[in-house]
Amino acid sequence: MNVLELKNISKRYGAIQALDSVSLAIAPGEVVGLMGDNGAGKSTLVKVIAGNFAPTSGDILISDKKVAFNKPLDAQKAGIEVVYQDLAICNNLSAASNVFLGREPTRRIGPIKVVDYAFMRSKSAELFARLKSETRPRDLVHKMSGGQRQAVAIARTLLSDAKIVLMDEPTAAISVRQVAEVLNLIRQLSDHGIAVVLISHRMPDVFEVADKVVVLRRGELVADKKASQSSPEEITGLITGAIEHA
Amino acid sequence: MQKKDIGLGVLIIVVGAIVYMQNPLFLSPINLGNTANLIGLFGLFAIGQGFVIMTGGIDLSVGSVIALLGVLFVDMVGKFDVAWPIAVAITIGLGVLIGLAHGILITRFRLQPFVVTLCGLLIYRGIARGYTAESTAGFPFGSSYPQLEWLTIGRSFGVPHSFIAMLIVAAVMWVVLHHTVFGRHLCAVGKNEEAARFSGINTRFVTIAAYVICAVLASIAAIYFAMFTKSVQPSSHGNFYELYAIAAAVLGGCSLRGGEGSVIGIVLGAVLLQELQNLVNLLGIPSSLNFAVMGAVILLGVLADQQFAAYRTRRNTERALGLLQKP
Repeated sequence: MNVLELKNISKRYGAIQALDSVSLAIAPGEVVGLMGDNGAGKSTLVKVIAGNFAPTSGDILISDKKVAFNKPLDAQKAGIEVVYQDLAICNNLSAASNVFLGREPTRRIGPIKVVDYAFMRSKSAELFARLKSETRPRDLVHKMSGGQRQAVAIARTLLSDAKIVLMDEPTAAISVRQVAEVLNLIRQLSDHGIAVVLISHRMPDVFEVADKVVVLRRGELVADKKASQSSPEEITGLITGAIEHA
Repeated sequence: MQKKDIGLGVLIIVVGAIVYMQNPLFLSPINLGNTANLIGLFGLFAIGQGFVIMTGGIDLSVGSVIALLGVLFVDMVGKFDVAWPIAVAITIGLGVLIGLAHGILITRFRLQPFVVTLCGLLIYRGIARGYTAESTAGFPFGSSYPQLEWLTIGRSFGVPHSFIAMLIVAAVMWVVLHHTVFGRHLCAVGKNEEAARFSGINTRFVTIAAYVICAVLASIAAIYFAMFTKSVQPSSHGNFYELYAIAAAVLGGCSLRGGEGSVIGIVLGAVLLQELQNLVNLLGIPSSLNFAVMGAVILLGVLADQQFAAYRTRRNTERALGLLQKP
């Protein structure tokens, strides 16, 4: 069974063919490295999967069922979560508040619903423990390292019982040491049976965690193969066009 | 309570002690009652301003709203004999409309809050002056509205009801800001609107709600001010009040960059401002220097707060380094 399957997805913006009949299947817990040069269509593909906009043609299947996303919330409900490049978290709030941002738990005191801070803290502590991260729920995010911020962003995805997590350049803005931390988090997600699509320019990161590498070039899918059967040299060739297809 | 609030409380007590030593009248029941009344009046709309500032916006129209709605309220009750509860409801309803207009212009039409509310400041003041043809709006001679007066300018055990009203509003807004989902979302929108939107928060609703809260509290303040002054002079009533509100909010720890603030801080900020006004009166400083004293103290307060925060980080770093060097 595939958790996500794309069938002949195409997207055109006026005269520009951003995606040209892309087909891709992702199994539960699989880590897919999505690579390609700037403008190759990576972001467009991610946005189609995340429900930011609908494809011009083609089908999206979640757990072998056909779906249509009209807005990001539809995709979220279907179990697709996005961890954005610029980290969609609020610096002035605590880690726990960020994990629960937009879906705060409440309890009733008489007629008023108040935020249940205690539950937020205990649940997010549990999530951080599952991710083997040392992030403390009460800490403010603006005092955290890049790796800890990623842990917060990823804990959000665990909270929503996501099936697929799309990560846009999660290792671009952080130090080398923290990269290892983030790659670790990706493995944790995979161990929990969550598929991860990792969009990255950093070849070593992709080869470190990915089960499968997918290459886009000018909107076309030119490679879809196991990372163990490929090499950084081959992928570079595929990205630049030195190698036509793999 | 946050550290900042405690610092502000200490400042209020220190200033109060100095004034008391110079002039013991400071703690006389009459002076305390009058000051409490002013704190109530100014605190009411400062809390609303704080909410807007926490979204990263600003509302410059508060003073003009107080003038316009004050004129209308006085005319409704005094001239057109509208029953006062209906007049109160209409005034607050107008406040809701003004807030909605600000919020929609800012979120839907993507205008800057400064521009929108600056135009509001000019428009509402202009309408107030045009509507009254520059004449003062007042209640007819000898008229009296016992219940309305009890609610607004009455006192219980020497405590002015305007002050009690402000405390009630502050308590409600404290729960809203610190213990409801809306309050969480307000802080998130103020700091990182994009992140809030990605998290599924209806950021437009949150922003509009903040402006509505601000305008509604300004409309309630307008009623209290109109009853307090008994007549509304459309060209001067409420002048600069938005700046008092902004000063109180900033003193109280609201960041103009959004996302930070506390209701207790805003109330303490309003207390400090009125204490300074009072200080100018009691110490015989010429009242023409009023603004200069207020400006100087706010500047010193903010400066001291910043220096103290910097000192604290330095001390913490040194302590951490000291721990590291120990084997």
